[in-house]
Amino acid sequence: MLKTGSFAMPEANDSPFLLDMHERGLQNLDRMARYDEKETVDLLVIGAGAGGVTLAQRLARKGWRIVILEKGPLWDPDRDWVSDEKGAGPIYWTDNRIIGGTDPIQMGKNNSGVGVGGSMTHFAGYVPRFHPSDFEVRSRDGVAVDWPISYWDLKASFERVERELPVAGQRWPWGDPHDYPHKPHPIAGAAAKAWQGAKDCGIEMRVGPVSITNGVFGNRPHCIYRGFCLQGCKVNAKASPLITHLPDAIEHGVEVRADSMAIRVELDDASGRVSGVTYVHDGQEHFQPADAVAVCGYAIETPRLLLNSTSRRFPHGLANNSDQVGRYVMVQGATQVAARFPELMRMYKAPPPEVSSEQFYETDESRGFARGFSIQTVSPLPIAWAEHVTAEGHWGLALREYMRDWNHWTVLGVLCELMPQPENRVTLADQKDQFGMPVASFSHSLCDNDKANIAYATKVMQEIWSGAEAQDTLKIDRYAHLVGGCRMGSTPEESVVDSSHRAWDVPNLFVVDGSVLPTEGAANPALVIMALADRFATLLEEKNVA
Amino acid sequence: MKPFQDAEHLPSRGTWDPSQLPRQRKGKTPQMHGRYPDYDVLAEVDHWDDVTRKLVVGRVENVPPYRFFGEREVPTLEAFCDCLTAQDDEPRIPVLAYVDEKLFENDGDGYQYFDMPTDQETWRTVARGLDDEAAKLGRDSFAVLVAHEQHEVVHRFDQGELYGGAWATFNVSRAWSIVVRYVCEAFYAHPWAWNEIGFGGPAYPRGYAAFGSPQLGEEEHWEAKEAVDVDAMQDTQRKGLD
Ligand SMILES: Cc1cc2nc3c(=O)[nH]c(=O)nc-3n(C[C@H](O)[C@H](O)[C@H](O)COP(=O)(O)OP(=O)(O)OC[C@H]3O[C@@H](n4cnc5c(N)ncnc54)[C@H](O)[C@@H]3O)c2cc1C
Ligand code: SF4
Repeated sequence: MLKTGSFAMPEANDSPFLLDMHERGLQNLDRMARYDEKETVDLLVIGAGAGGVTLAQRLARKGWRIVILEKGPLWDPDRDWVSDEKGAGPIYWTDNRIIGGTDPIQMGKNNSGVGVGGSMTHFAGYVPRFHPSDFEVRSRDGVAVDWPISYWDLKASFERVERELPVAGQRWPWGDPHDYPHKPHPIAGAAAKAWQGAKDCGIEMRVGPVSITNGVFGNRPHCIYRGFCLQGCKVNAKASPLITHLPDAIEHGVEVRADSMAIRVELDDASGRVSGVTYVHDGQEHFQPADAVAVCGYAIETPRLLLNSTSRRFPHGLANNSDQVGRYVMVQGATQVAARFPELMRMYKAPPPEVSSEQFYETDESRGFARGFSIQTVSPLPIAWAEHVTAEGHWGLALREYMRDWNHWTVLGVLCELMPQPENRVTLADQKDQFGMPVASFSHSLCDNDKANIAYATKVMQEIWSGAEAQDTLKIDRYAHLVGGCRMGSTPEESVVDSSHRAWDVPNLFVVDGSVLPTEGAANPALVIMALADRFATLLEEKNVA
Repeated sequence: MKPFQDAEHLPSRGTWDPSQLPRQRKGKTPQMHGRYPDYDVLAEVDHWDDVTRKLVVGRVENVPPYRFFGEREVPTLEAFCDCLTAQDDEPRIPVLAYVDEKLFENDGDGYQYFDMPTDQETWRTVARGLDDEAAKLGRDSFAVLVAHEQHEVVHRFDQGELYGGAWATFNVSRAWSIVVRYVCEAFYAHPWAWNEIGFGGPAYPRGYAAFGSPQLGEEEHWEAKEAVDVDAMQDTQRKGLD
């Protein structure tokens, strides 16, 4: 196979070459393995997202026989995705969830994907690394908890995954300084405005880091700057596991079983080991036996599935004898401030993720709260822009006028690190879904440190825009990026899995997704989730998981 | 300065009267006014991929029939949607028809507040509540109130200041946020609204080469041009378009 590409092509992942230049769907589905339901596979992965697919690809190359169960469809971007904001609905997880607490978190398009590729099919595409400090916030800042692993345990994994996505951006000066495999993308006028405004306030920004090809990368085309990244990239320019890891995984014997909703992980009460998973496909219940199970369903669904998997040994849910499953779910404070300028900005062009700053990432005691935030450009399409306008209470004539004015606006958003709290948790509601499974209920409330962080970050955005001489601003308070719920830790009393992702008390059950994060940093989470899956795979040398 | 370069027309500075806007000369906008009088996004359909074209053109041409709302609810909620989106004249984007479709198909947004019923139940309750307000004014339906009365009720809804009857069964402010979300999604998914605001619309496979910086070029030749003058009559005459 002829391998053209940039200097830093990935080593053990042929995915970009297994795609086609002109057709976006996977090309090797006819070669995909099919395992019999009576056959015990080596590993059953639940959820074909950032964690699940990366893990499967790695282990398949080591000879593991793997099935991935995925609730949603196996997407063909040519056939299934549209260049339309409302029409992107099918790629969001829109089954009902109950939300509560003093600061309830909106679900659906805001934070959860469904279908093969997981939430990254519609993520924005920012892929910054966590900082070394993120792994030790208890020791450094006296808040939350330290991770049981350090940045240096993940560094090689970050680098590997960055080559596979691949990541484009300027040299990164924050955290552990590093370079990216692809050069930065050209930026649009709207992002240039933010850059200049920030600079005038003494705030440094950098282009990227985004998981969007900028140059030849196997058979993945260059970005065409059409701006629909959050609606699913029809070009295959923006990374998602559907195109970055699944093609290679299939080539190495992974079966992805789409439209299959896992409803219970089954435990053999005698041995204390999980025996496989019950799932629903086409309205029928099936059982797939497996030597080991990795739950990779994202921060809400992973705890929900474990809580629904009760047995004699685990009457309150699998791996939940310390009452930790579903706790410490986090979101980042993602307030956005839009600014108005005389010239046309036309935010709908170029990818929404363009330039960002991590200058406020670390704790600064003079700010009066622990930890910090990052600042990034975003660009809402019309329906999302209407949310900005209505958030300030406008309707009728005022709504229409602010909407007509859209092309004069540009938007900055922050990601504030919020604290893990035990009562911010997922539980099972009385309501049942179409599979007869109780729906998740998610309660979320801010603490004082969270409020102080969000207020400060909002003020910084306002300052940037007044530095740029904006004529008007609009603010919307919102939240992004669900993580936590099955956190990794050093003791069974205070966590669900250990530093090798293994559930305390269940030797062949693993959790490998965003739900294991003990703290969330102020960086977007997809890269660290993939890096964790990469590291976990390197820990499992052999098929022997016991 | 071009009329839209300054910000004096923004609602934060006062009220803006859309009758002063340029009239649409090409394509349609809701009520035929907008900022981009010679822009019709639907003239670009040949540049869209097939799947997207079918969906978006279908949205305009095949307005879904009412299947969720009943005879009494339709006029009440149509009037309410018109009020929220300031649609006081034809052509109107048939907002409620899309809301009806979404509710009928149970195509929800993926969450329900702990203190709210389902979105379906929320919409029905809002319809009942609006008619209750009309009854307090001695009228049979919200739809037959005069414009300023409708506005007054909607204003109180926005402020969370509607009490008793239907309104007592849920959190009124949350109900407002839910119906506003449905209405805005329906309205701004419609190409007529894109004409009004100058949105490029679907952009695959064409993409953009000029995305708004001096180095890259400001805009594509086909993109919406903002009116240089609010007086469309003068502009038309000046360009010799009459
Ligand atoms: C709009 C949006 C923008 C975002 N922007 C960014 C960004 O710019 N940068 C960034 O880093 N992150 C971003 N994210 C977040 C990022 O996409 C997620 O953090 C990441 O994908 C989570 O990875 P995961 O492996 O935990 O879960 P996912 O990638 O969500 O995968 C979970 C998969 O499991 C499936 N599943 C769940 N339960 C079951 C079950 N019981 N049976 C079968 N299948 C199941 C789901 O359908 C899903 O496909 C964004 C997310 C959204 C929604
Ligand atoms: S802007 Fe680029 S990465 Fe984003 S959807 Fe378009 S082609 Fe894909």
